[in-house]
Amino acid sequence: MSEAADLTEAEAFAAEHALGILSSDERRQAEARMAAEPAFAAQVEAWRERLTPMTDSLAEVSPPHALWQRIERSLGANDNRGANDNGAMARGLRFWRGASVGSLTLAAASIAAAVMLANRPPVVIHPPAGGQLLDASLVSQTGAPVPLFVAAYDPIRKALIVTSLVTPGNDPAHVHELWVIPADGKPRPLGIIAAGKTQEMPLPEKLLPALAAGSALAVSVEPPGGSPKVNAPTGPITAVGKLAKI
Amino acid sequence: MASATTPEHLAQLMSRVAAGERAALRQLYEATSAKLFAVCLRILSDREEAEDVLQEVYVTVWRRADRFDGTRASVMTWVSTIARNRSIDRLRARGPMAYAEPVEAAEIADGAVGAEALLVAAGEQERLHRCLSQLDARTETVIRTAFFEGVTYEALARRMGAPLGTVKSWVRRGLAKLKGCLAT
Repeated sequence: MSEAADLTEAEAFAAEHALGILSSDERRQAEARMAAEPAFAAQVEAWRERLTPMTDSLAEVSPPHALWQRIERSLGANDNRGANDNGAMARGLRFWRGASVGSLTLAAASIAAAVMLANRPPVVIHPPAGGQLLDASLVSQTGAPVPLFVAAYDPIRKALIVTSLVTPGNDPAHVHELWVIPADGKPRPLGIIAAGKTQEMPLPEKLLPALAAGSALAVSVEPPGGSPKVNAPTGPITAVGKLAKI
Repeated sequence: MASATTPEHLAQLMSRVAAGERAALRQLYEATSAKLFAVCLRILSDREEAEDVLQEVYVTVWRRADRFDGTRASVMTWVSTIARNRSIDRLRARGPMAYAEPVEAAEIADGAVGAEALLVAAGEQERLHRCLSQLDARTETVIRTAFFEGVTYEALARRMGAPLGTVKSWVRRGLAKLKGCLAT
């Protein structure tokens, strides 16, 4: 094979992450960088596409029959509106209330931007058919209640428009994960919010009923990739707000 | 099994999974779980842990199916990545001693193309295997070992008795060559 040009430092790091050769710390850095830099994320994804065909040389091994049942049971626990987990989020909030917001700080310019965003007339002109336009301001859980995130639910687009007022780059080792906690008290994950950005988060059909006036939105600090738990935050809750009709 | 399932069929299943259809998840599981279990087992070398991780993988697929973007990744890459990442995270959580375990040379070399891969129809897979085999034997072994076992540079350097910086430059140069070969 002829000599190939060296990869740029960024692409080499992306390739190493896709290969799985990095240490825990470096993996976290790579995940945080993917969340913050779409170009880097695209490089990692391209390398995953390049390398994954290697798994073809692995002989398939059938998992035990009982495993599907285990999986199905854990899905059931997520979907059922059972009473056993009621209040879990509230307990979590109480537990974390004293926790520090850490290195997450606010930029005054971002607050101004959010105020403008909040004052902007709703984009949707026709009266929504499938639900009610809702919004929420998520305020910090320590010290004075400062808005850290603002969110608006658009039932026509079936999406949440979320703005993070957190200065990007302060805590590359963690991400912010957004949760909705409807009346049953069980948190459902909505996705990762990039610091300092406004993004549209499309919502799966099954989550739409959870987006109702009175439902809480909460943001937790998680390892890159989001909470390792299926239906609960693992890190401190930085901000909480309630959805209300606009 | 997985080989009989076309990428298009898997992509259709994913959109049904994203819509919350449990039967579609079951079909996706049937089409992909034997391959993903092999991936987890290879990295973790522990059946019980591999089963736990595989369970997490499909629960994650169920939860995050709406984030799958068929224009950016194939289903097989997406689910394999979740399986590899979860397994590697679990492996890293065992602590640094986990990497120090000596591995038989035969096992390291075991990434060589098997009979199954030789039967794989022409396409990406074949091209990747051809490009990997064009690397020098040491670089090919290091890249395959890193991919299949999820071991770190540090562990590879210790295993091979080579300085960390040297192993790193083998891998980076190998990856650059691989990219060049795959692009032709």
